[in-house]
Amino acid sequence: MNKSVNKVVGGTALCFGLFCQSLLAAVAEYQVQLKDHLFFPSQITIPANQKVKLVIHNQDDTPEEFDSFSLNRDKVIFANNKATIFIGPLQPGEYDFFGEYNPNTARGTVIVEHQKQKAADAN
Amino acid sequence: MLINTVILFLRDALPIFVLVVYLYVHLPATKLWLLLSVVAGALLSLIYINQIHVIGQWFDGKGIELSLWIYQISVYLLTLILGYGLSQNQASKKHYLSWVAGLMVSLTLVSKGSNFILYFDGYLNQSNAIQSMLLGTFLGLGICLSLAILLYLTAQWLRQRLGPWSTWLLVLIYVTGQLVNALPLLVQVDFIDASATAWSSQHLVSNEFEFGHLFNVLFGYQATPSIAQVIVYVLALLIPLAIFYSLKLYSASHTGHKQ
Repeated sequence: MNKSVNKVVGGTALCFGLFCQSLLAAVAEYQVQLKDHLFFPSQITIPANQKVKLVIHNQDDTPEEFDSFSLNRDKVIFANNKATIFIGPLQPGEYDFFGEYNPNTARGTVIVEHQKQKAADAN
Repeated sequence: MLINTVILFLRDALPIFVLVVYLYVHLPATKLWLLLSVVAGALLSLIYINQIHVIGQWFDGKGIELSLWIYQISVYLLTLILGYGLSQNQASKKHYLSWVAGLMVSLTLVSKGSNFILYFDGYLNQSNAIQSMLLGTFLGLGICLSLAILLYLTAQWLRQRLGPWSTWLLVLIYVTGQLVNALPLLVQVDFIDASATAWSSQHLVSNEFEFGHLFNVLFGYQATPSIAQVIVYVLALLIPLAIFYSLKLYSASHTGHKQ
């Protein structure tokens, strides 16, 4: 009886620990500016298999819609305002995004890379 | 600006046209509901846009996404009410169905039409944009109307050959697609965690191209759907179909016993 109680308590503690870890795990934040219908930076490199937070500051006097088919994201950013979008975890690769109201100029790419591989390359 | 306006029409106006056409064929008796629902939807869209900055601050900045999700889930539930109405035998109990359809159109107008108001409000004051935006509007409306007429004829043909359940099924497939399309809204504000991709068919039909847009509107096609989207899609389609099929069987056997 005691053994089964211990198993239940242990299992619960493990689940709680994993839940807390996921809650406490800091989500990396990336700042993007939108000015004159252009994204700065237009290329954002993020680590693979991790959720990250994009904070997009629209410095134009017109609204813009952040849109990406490959990322499945779609969010209006009001004029002179900011918006937050969570992306990932993603597989390594390139994911295009654009401003739906100005798709010719407002374009960018999220580049997803393995962090370890990048560190090894640097060495 | 011309192309942007046309694309905006394909993305946000086409879903409204498709729903109106399906419901127009599905409920052929009265048409007053359509006029009233369009007026109500336009007014609600203006109110929504007027308050969008306030709504955007709700739930720690997740207000817009949550409100759009609630609109979609409401439209889905209203579709189930339409199906329930169809399973009822007494015609006298069906008068509320046109109001259900009207509410569906109004809610869709708010969720899709508000994007238009934002776009036109933001760019119409730019003098160099007016001409191309107007041209884009005519082109976009032309494309939407042409597709709506084609869909109307198809839906009419289906209704004549297979009965009203066929047009209800068209509505259900369309609404389920829209519901699944709205799921990433909850993921992008970190409300749910469902980013794992089920497959990628970008090389076959990309969502960026015309057919991708069209399929997305008609049945919620996604080139890179998440596993959660696939599960929600299958369940949202199959559960009501199974329930209404059982109801129909029960109703048929009940009527048989009475006779």
